[in-house]
Amino acid sequence: MSVALNKRPFDLGKAAYLGLNLLLLAFLLVPIAIILVFALNPTPYISFPPVGITLHWFDKFFETGDFMRSLWLSLWIAACVLVLSVVIGGACALALARGHLPGQAFLTAFFMSPLMLPAILTGLALFQSYLLAGIGRPVWGLIMAHTLIAVPYVLRTTLAVLHNFDRRIEEAASVLGASPARVFFEVTLPLIQPGVFAGGVFAFIVSFDQFPVSLFLVVPKGETLPVVLFNYMKFDLDGAIAAASMVSILLALAVVLTLEKLIGLKAYVKL
Amino acid sequence: MISRHRVSRRTMLRAGAGLAAAASFAAPAILHAETKTLKITTWGGKWGDIMKATVLPGFEKEHGCTVSADQAFPYVPKLQVSPRNDPLYDVLHTNSNEQWLAVVDGLVMDKITAKEVPNVADVYPYAVSDKIVGVSIFTSAIGLGYRTDKGITPPKSWKDLADPKLAGARGGYLIPVNSLGQCHLMMLGKVYGKGLQDLDAAYKALEQLKPIKLVDFTGQMEKMLLSAEVVEGVIHDSGVYRYEGANRQPVDFCSPSEGVMALEQVLNVTPGSKVKELAFAYIDYMLRPDVQKLLAEGVWYSPANKKVKLEEKYDAKLLTTPQKVATLIQPDWKWYNARKDDIDARVTKILKG
Amino acid sequence: MIQARRFALAADRPDVPGVDRAVALRHDGERMSAVASRRPSPIAWLIAPALLLFVLFFVLPFAVMVAMSFFSSNPIGNPHAVVTTRHYQRFIEDSAGIFHDALWETLRIGVITTIVSLLIGYPLAHWMARMQSRLGHALALMAVITPLLTGIVVRTFAWMTILQDKGVINTTLISWGVIHKPLPLMYNEFGTVVALVHIYVPFMVLTLIGVIGRIDGRLEQAARSLGAGRLRAFVEVTLPLSLPGVLAGSLLVFALSISAYVTPSLMGGTAVLTLPMLIAQQVNTSFNPGFAGALGVVLLSVSLAIVIAYNRILARLAGEQGLA
Repeated sequence: MSVALNKRPFDLGKAAYLGLNLLLLAFLLVPIAIILVFALNPTPYISFPPVGITLHWFDKFFETGDFMRSLWLSLWIAACVLVLSVVIGGACALALARGHLPGQAFLTAFFMSPLMLPAILTGLALFQSYLLAGIGRPVWGLIMAHTLIAVPYVLRTTLAVLHNFDRRIEEAASVLGASPARVFFEVTLPLIQPGVFAGGVFAFIVSFDQFPVSLFLVVPKGETLPVVLFNYMKFDLDGAIAAASMVSILLALAVVLTLEKLIGLKAYVKL
Repeated sequence: MISRHRVSRRTMLRAGAGLAAAASFAAPAILHAETKTLKITTWGGKWGDIMKATVLPGFEKEHGCTVSADQAFPYVPKLQVSPRNDPLYDVLHTNSNEQWLAVVDGLVMDKITAKEVPNVADVYPYAVSDKIVGVSIFTSAIGLGYRTDKGITPPKSWKDLADPKLAGARGGYLIPVNSLGQCHLMMLGKVYGKGLQDLDAAYKALEQLKPIKLVDFTGQMEKMLLSAEVVEGVIHDSGVYRYEGANRQPVDFCSPSEGVMALEQVLNVTPGSKVKELAFAYIDYMLRPDVQKLLAEGVWYSPANKKVKLEEKYDAKLLTTPQKVATLIQPDWKWYNARKDDIDARVTKILKG
Repeated sequence: MIQARRFALAADRPDVPGVDRAVALRHDGERMSAVASRRPSPIAWLIAPALLLFVLFFVLPFAVMVAMSFFSSNPIGNPHAVVTTRHYQRFIEDSAGIFHDALWETLRIGVITTIVSLLIGYPLAHWMARMQSRLGHALALMAVITPLLTGIVVRTFAWMTILQDKGVINTTLISWGVIHKPLPLMYNEFGTVVALVHIYVPFMVLTLIGVIGRIDGRLEQAARSLGAGRLRAFVEVTLPLSLPGVLAGSLLVFALSISAYVTPSLMGGTAVLTLPMLIAQQVNTSFNPGFAGALGVVLLSVSLAIVIAYNRILARLAGEQGLA
């Protein structure tokens, strides 16, 4: 790829392309910088410019039992949702792309619909149904609710990759004598991996950051972090929420990077 | 300042505790069948801190029960969904407007008297007036909060909020979602028209307040004032007075000459509650002078119990005498709620256009 | 991975050169899938877990919600509830003149957010997918994912601090003397879209990156080496091949932005009123889940219709059936 580009000493187009992308990244990151400023600013409300630096809010975050309990609960739920939705959503994507199902367009739109219904209604409807079924509000109910919202992401991202997938590769593999299982694990899976990875990251994040669906499904002392933060902010809009946000970023990034390490995200870039 | 080491160790400890807690959700609550559980709703913030640290443990000890306190909004919609004979809560704590909405559906009781809750005998008349369902255990005064350092004349009247100089820097609430916003609208009817129920005058006056910054909760208005995004806005006294002493901020509260509106903290019992006795006992406990004093001084709420004696600095500012309490205006929520949908649509249109 | 690559090479056809080869490869793939048998294959059974999940945790609760939307109030909590169509009538008649506007505004914000997210997300995804440096890729990926991890409400508050009258931008510009009165950056549709785009660009990027990364870079190079300009090579080879990603990303972002309510209600001030905001109001403060459910049914029906139409159009553009 670089052979053609290196002919000219300075490539204006390429520099502009790089500049544009750095600018776009800056747009994504500026608010994060602002949150870091809040987290370190001693003022008990969000203000600009900052007047100093303190770790007080981090201290408060770590010392507040509600925050810590809900943080771990959220991570635990998000991990379950990640696994469930990758398996369910990935399988569903394969079925839709390969199964020659009738009404495929309808099914695909159907599986998207939990995203289009305002999540507060999904949460309320699930709460109502759980009560009608007499099961109360168990944690697994919350996990299933999050999985329901996460599956469409995995499905979409996996379908998108499956779509560009050259079926002849699979066919070639089986012509060369590979068993169906081997074709799946050695050919199909590595090829759809980037889609599944993106979907898995979404699933984790969607669950970890899920507020409206959880709203009705959490029980006292069993609230997830976004619910705790939202209710905290109703009364106190101080740096503790920013500190919570920074801690969440670090923890969740660690999860994502571990995933990348395990799955080897980079592999797909240069096929 | 904290050392990184300490944080990480604490984090690890909490990690274990958190996981254990998460795992224990699977265990049904029925295991504790011998101790009764009282299910209540309560606020977060400073109020919630005091409740969890002192007030609720005290009650649990006295009555040998456990209290499950829901601090996650919204309460009434959750209660609505649960069956009447097995309600999600035994005691509902909300502002007055929501109690009036809940009572229409039969979700809470009409009246609570000294027969069920002995301490009701000691409350100011407003706390059990015909404008209240359940019993009000505290009240705040809704008036105007303002910055003392931005060169504005301290307000004296509700009309001062319309000062053209405050365009874009005045604050109010989203009327469909916040009872302070609803109170403010009714107050506009009183100040500019024939009374609290003069909606036409109120709509006209609201038009004059544009542009105005609207928030959905009092905590947010506090922060808007503190960051000077709003320099004068509708707020309850508690949201301003709590910034005193070491927390001093350049804000002050004004009780407008036309009167202040009451922002009541109302407790009520659900008719289907299976532990009604305990529920009444809880309300009685919340009205007890020592508990009232603790919470009143913690969050600057005016106690409903006449017998409470507050420290001087609280006594000076809060509504603690019959004369001061008489300045409270209680709106007719039954009347308002019956028109809520129309009012919501109308004000939305006014403010959007 | 190595296996896969070997098979990929085996499937290549060295007899067709240059641009034509790239284009031919693409068409070839399309022909293959068109010819493929239409009979359900055993793989179709893989849909079962998803169907079970959706029937139990979406269809049934949704049916309960739809049923509720035909009751005057919750029949479980209130024995006096009666069957009625008044919630739907209320929306259709719209005597107050706000519901139809809200629906329109919801869709408009959804479309604008989707387009802007695509315009921002595509270059980023393309850049990252073609990036040679492993470290650079990891850093860029972290930068894209980080905004997703901040938590929706905190992130929105960050935008408020940037855009409000006493916010970072206005304070800075005023202190430099560039402006004298704060610019109207939030409490309007602009601020709402900015914050929504910020939240949803990562979804667009991560969806596209997988698809663009799967496109064989050699195809574009082949086109270039035969004299096609960089732009033409992109438009004729990469762009069409990445359309499934564009479709997937746009649908995700559209679905998410039409159902958002926290961001519009914090950023939009009094100027913005979307259907999800009304729904949240009806649930949380008017205690009218019946009407909220009716509004939800309306929003879901309209957006499903749009999504199906969009699928069809893009499928036609990509010259392929069953793209959805």
